[in-house]
Amino acid sequence: MGIEALTGVLLLCICIFFALGAPVALALGGIAMGIGYLTWGDAVFNIIPTTIESTYFSFILLAIPLYIYMGQFFTKSGIGDAMFDTSQLLIGKIRGSLAVSVIIVCSMIGAMVGIIGAGIMTSGSIALKPMLDRGYDKNLAMGVIMAGGGLGILIPPSIPMIMFAASTHNSIGRMFIGAMMPALVTVVLMILYVVISCRISPQKAPFTAADTINQKKPFVEKLSIARDGFLAMMLIVAVLGSIVSGIATPTESGAIGVVGAVVLSILFKRFKVKMFLEVGLQTALLVSVAMWIIFGASVFSNFHLLMGVQSMVSDFAVNLDLPPIMIIMMFQVIMLLLGFVIDEFIIVLMCAPLFTPIAVSFGYDPIWFGVLMILNILIAVQTPPYGFALFYLKGIAPVGIGMGDIYKSVIPFVMINFTVLVLCMIFPQIVLWLPTLILG
Amino acid sequence: MGVIMLLSFLRGFCKKIDFIAMLAGYAASYMMPVLALIVASEVFSRYFLNKPTVWAFDLSLFLFGYIAILGGAYAHQKRAHIVVDILYVRVSPRTKRIFNLISYSLGIFFLVLIVYICQEKLVDAFKFGTRRQSEWAPYMHHFWIMTIVGSTLFIAQLVRDMIVDIFYLCTGTDLLKKGEL
Amino acid sequence: AAAEHNWRFGNLYGRGTAFGALYEDLGKNIDEMSDGKIKVQVLFAGEGVGTSGMLSACKSGLLTMVAPFQSMHAGELPAGIVEIGLPGGTSDTDELYSLFHDKGWGPILDTAYGEHGLVRLEPYIQPPVYILTKKKINSVEDFKGLKIRAPGAYGKFLRKLGASPVSLAWSEIYTSLATGVIDGAIGSNMIDHRDGNHVEVATYMYPLPLAGAQVLPILVNQKAWNKLSDDLKAVVMKATVMHAKAQLEMSRKWESEAVTEMESKGLLWSPEPSDADKAAWTAAGESLWGEYANEDKYSKQLIEVMKKNKK
Ligand code: NA
Ligand code: NA
Repeated sequence: MGIEALTGVLLLCICIFFALGAPVALALGGIAMGIGYLTWGDAVFNIIPTTIESTYFSFILLAIPLYIYMGQFFTKSGIGDAMFDTSQLLIGKIRGSLAVSVIIVCSMIGAMVGIIGAGIMTSGSIALKPMLDRGYDKNLAMGVIMAGGGLGILIPPSIPMIMFAASTHNSIGRMFIGAMMPALVTVVLMILYVVISCRISPQKAPFTAADTINQKKPFVEKLSIARDGFLAMMLIVAVLGSIVSGIATPTESGAIGVVGAVVLSILFKRFKVKMFLEVGLQTALLVSVAMWIIFGASVFSNFHLLMGVQSMVSDFAVNLDLPPIMIIMMFQVIMLLLGFVIDEFIIVLMCAPLFTPIAVSFGYDPIWFGVLMILNILIAVQTPPYGFALFYLKGIAPVGIGMGDIYKSVIPFVMINFTVLVLCMIFPQIVLWLPTLILG
Repeated sequence: MGVIMLLSFLRGFCKKIDFIAMLAGYAASYMMPVLALIVASEVFSRYFLNKPTVWAFDLSLFLFGYIAILGGAYAHQKRAHIVVDILYVRVSPRTKRIFNLISYSLGIFFLVLIVYICQEKLVDAFKFGTRRQSEWAPYMHHFWIMTIVGSTLFIAQLVRDMIVDIFYLCTGTDLLKKGEL
Repeated sequence: AAAEHNWRFGNLYGRGTAFGALYEDLGKNIDEMSDGKIKVQVLFAGEGVGTSGMLSACKSGLLTMVAPFQSMHAGELPAGIVEIGLPGGTSDTDELYSLFHDKGWGPILDTAYGEHGLVRLEPYIQPPVYILTKKKINSVEDFKGLKIRAPGAYGKFLRKLGASPVSLAWSEIYTSLATGVIDGAIGSNMIDHRDGNHVEVATYMYPLPLAGAQVLPILVNQKAWNKLSDDLKAVVMKATVMHAKAQLEMSRKWESEAVTEMESKGLLWSPEPSDADKAAWTAAGESLWGEYANEDKYSKQLIEVMKKNKK
């Protein structure tokens, strides 16, 4: 079987087993091993142990348990509530204000983490419940989490950007700075969308007593809410500070957040053994869900790569006979399509060294192209059927929210990401202006 | 008589598996604070004492793997694993059970392979005394044992669910009372 | 016509990189020299098997042939650490060649790899490991207290000099140097430092390499090897000899290109070490030899040969 046919069969099997409601992790691993046995023989089973080692001994992925743990402490100890109560004190009169606060908090989390999984699962832990509690439209609430959490790879530090820069010999610093403006544009568009769509359909973000109750409280109580909120914000600032000041790596900073959250919850007098155990159990479940899916998906993509899917992509890319800008657009389409079957890291590993030299030979700036790639990956991981960001969001979502809801919830935000991608393609200055200004 | 005995045997079997998987899930959850503490203490001893440890790196990765793999069965018991439930939520309870039987079979196939191949790795790890490649160089064998245990539990949990589903398909009633899953 | 043997050949370099092209050539040469009887599919970094999974993938036959980096397999095959070149080892390529081919390293390593079901083909030499630091190193004393990202054997070496080795993922080096989590990092060679853009965030290269040169193996799965006729075995062997030659020529050229490129981006060299510094450096390296010899029987045999030839 040729690689094209094999890819078709794999996709078909994915669709069938996804439709049957199979656990995604086991389905991906099982399909790869089953089809692998038929096409390759039993040697294919040896993908399992090497994938176990590369998945579980990845220090980068260690950010996932640590940040989920921190997020769970935030939500179960009331630190997260304190933070959002304070923001409501300030902007509670604006419809959709909580979602706006969430986007801003997510941007800060995005600035801490470097991978999508940690971003979405932390943001989801902290901010999903407050929005749902206040009667926010669940699609709006989940879309905000997804889009906000995804900022993790767009706001530095970002592991995919480091991988891009390393495999194409470009400046990481330049790329980090280059992604700043697109990230800012994304955040602004997201806030605009939330405010405008809540104005148009007010039922999405109902005003509840909770929005204004704090504003009616006596000054002393306001002060105490503000103090709690300030402390909670300080924790986020401290975690960010631990990265910037060189105390911890982005991966390790999650552990600092955990220790800080425990200290704060003791300060807030909300620390209970029961809460502590519940947080641990909930975290262990989420970690297990995230890691089984990463493992199953890696078995799947490793099999696909060993069978030579990368040669198929490279043959196709090299033989494109189109005008330069069309080729750049085709590259974006290829990456979006790859997003149907493989994860963010593999897309960068495969496409960066393949596409970037071609783009550069047409006279395009590699940093610009790299930022386009990151934006593109952001979309790829949010598009069904196979999108890691969607899976992470499903993992964190409360019972009763189906994958269909999640698919629906991301549409407007994927449109925003897409708009930013197109804007950056048409106006490369959005990417290049800041690095040129700062680094010359 | 025989039927009743079979029923109570099946019920007992299912509950035992639920219990063991739950224990493994709780065990994983107790490792979470330990993991956070190890990473935090590495940061502390590197930054404040200027003495990075040789063991924190590997130990935290081992714990990470233990938590993730051992929690798999319990996560399934809690229906926490991710499914694309677009069609699934729209079909009848009977069809759901049939869907489960097909997808759990595929899952068991994959998990059995994990157990089989990790047992080979375990034998190899004992034969060569395989360690991690770091300076601390801890042994690897326990990690493969844990993977085998975690995957076996996951298989047991799926088998248990298949028994419940088959029972439902045959008799139209639930094997276990509500609240027992 | 369909090939008689379909091989998968894994290496650690990215698709489209200069080194990656050398492995691609090796694959092509085997293809052509065997008249298409052996078809080689080259797999680059991240394409199916991770960096630390190369050895076990070749043992199990998932990959037929691999070009691994021994430090990644120190826990499985400790002798590989001695093979690659311990700190304090020679940089003379002729001397290295003779160590492997005449002085007895070859047969010892054949047995060590053979135990794992692997066949060694012609090894090749790549440029040495250097340390990049944020601050200038004026004497070996300056390493005291520095936090340097250095895995395994290199970590142990730096500890002997009073530095504190740190374990970090490769993709964390840049950010960690930038923020000051670490004061320096080793790279697998100059090209690795260039690719990681480390010079953007750390300026000083220390002139003494950690080991003279690195010798890396090409390994083949025993069962796949035994399936080849003697003619084909000779063809594959010859292709790896050509590959070793190309590696030696090209890697020197690329190393100097990488250095020039980094210098244009602001790389500076720490001052030339004094004789006392050089002696301390060598002594630190040699003091490790005993430790490694005690850990593994094949390491011990290799180190004995090395000591005998030192004089
Ligand atoms: Na980030
Ligand atoms: Na996708």
